[in-house]
Amino acid sequence: MALLLLVISFALFYFYMVRAKKGAEISARTFPAVAAIPEAVGRAAEMGKPVYYTTGLGMGTLNNPLNGPQTLAGISILGHVTRLCSRNGVRIDYFTPIVDSLPLVEETMRTAYLMEGNPEGFDTNHIHFQQDQSPYLTASLGYMQRERPASNIMLGGFYYESVVLGEAGNTIGAMQIGGSANTHQLPFLVATCDYTLIMEELYAASAEIAGDPDVLGSLKGEDILKFVVLALLGVGFLLGLANNATLINILRM
Amino acid sequence: MSEVYKRELVFLVAGLVAAVMIVTYFLDIPVLNGLAQQLQVWALIIQLMAIGLGAINLVRVNYRHMQQKTEGLWIFSAWFMVLFAIMLLLGLVGLSTGSENAIYSWVFANVYTSLSSTLYAITGFYIFSAAYRAFRARNIDAAILLIGGVFVILANAPVGAVIWKGFPIIGGWFNISGQVPAMRTFTITGALGLLAYGFRTLLGKESGFYGEAGQ
Repeated sequence: MALLLLVISFALFYFYMVRAKKGAEISARTFPAVAAIPEAVGRAAEMGKPVYYTTGLGMGTLNNPLNGPQTLAGISILGHVTRLCSRNGVRIDYFTPIVDSLPLVEETMRTAYLMEGNPEGFDTNHIHFQQDQSPYLTASLGYMQRERPASNIMLGGFYYESVVLGEAGNTIGAMQIGGSANTHQLPFLVATCDYTLIMEELYAASAEIAGDPDVLGSLKGEDILKFVVLALLGVGFLLGLANNATLINILRM
Repeated sequence: MSEVYKRELVFLVAGLVAAVMIVTYFLDIPVLNGLAQQLQVWALIIQLMAIGLGAINLVRVNYRHMQQKTEGLWIFSAWFMVLFAIMLLLGLVGLSTGSENAIYSWVFANVYTSLSSTLYAITGFYIFSAAYRAFRARNIDAAILLIGGVFVILANAPVGAVIWKGFPIIGGWFNISGQVPAMRTFTITGALGLLAYGFRTLLGKESGFYGEAGQ
């Protein structure tokens, strides 16, 4: 049943992606946090301060089923932020404890500068790697106190560093954009950030940034799928009240 | 190899690997199972190689700070190099003797772990200030959050039950009937988002894993 649901989901995404590509009008969601990114970079340009960017601990590797995709989603958005920074002459400093993400980050940032016609603007010194959570956190806190970045962007798989970085950012008065699909860190990000991408919004944000109609079509497919799940929850709730386990048995097949 | 072919090759390899992993997760096909296990071993080897690259990167960056006498940083870089050399030496000695070096273990347990625990403990203060900001009753939503938060705090604090026996009951209701369904909703929507993200990645529509700048 799980395989069947996966195939149906993929078919639904593909259907809406093809429809969008053929020119059908797709009304996709927009995210205030994504819309605030140019403001965050503009603020840094006005203040002459850098932008701090991190994708969180992510359990220290991309090879983690829960955090790896979040890190990748964060890196996707990093490309967009780096391009804006390059365009506005703003320095962006990226901090990570995820060693296997380094080549991707380097390539993403280099390409972003290249696409803005500013290849000499890229400097590997602005990619800061620290092995493990505590050194990463200590280095980030030190950086925030020394450099006082105008904006703090935290998008990825976070653990307790979310509250520490968020509060440190608040202390220096940085504009903060956060986002994670780790439920245990969402309250901290919501409490400390000006804008937050909650759960699947983190994955969907890169689709909105890309702006390709077919990519936005997958968001539409996702929304339809949400209604299907909601309907299943409703039916399951009613059947549960009647002590009927038919739906549970079907889903467990 | 041209940039276009390189890009296509990356997507092809990623697609094939993903297909093998998905199929073996759902179906029991002995040939593919063996291949999937082999791929996982490769992933582990690549990951370990990346750790080596990370170490080289650290040394390179810190050496540059030392060489250029970067203001405010070079002294930390020098200290890093000293500690890096000590830990590397101790680790290599342990490797040559076939067992873990006792000094290495001592340094790790009594320096690194202690410092990490100290940093973790500081989180408590950050949580206080974050909670203060979140619990200010600036509007009706924040006021509801504040009331809920007070009940949950008093349900968890031993003094709550002493003040009024209803605090643990109401706080427990917020925890079980309020928080659990909300968190499960987040989990379900997160899973759906991940599905869509995975699908876009398989089709080469996501730039994250390829290291390409966002469009």
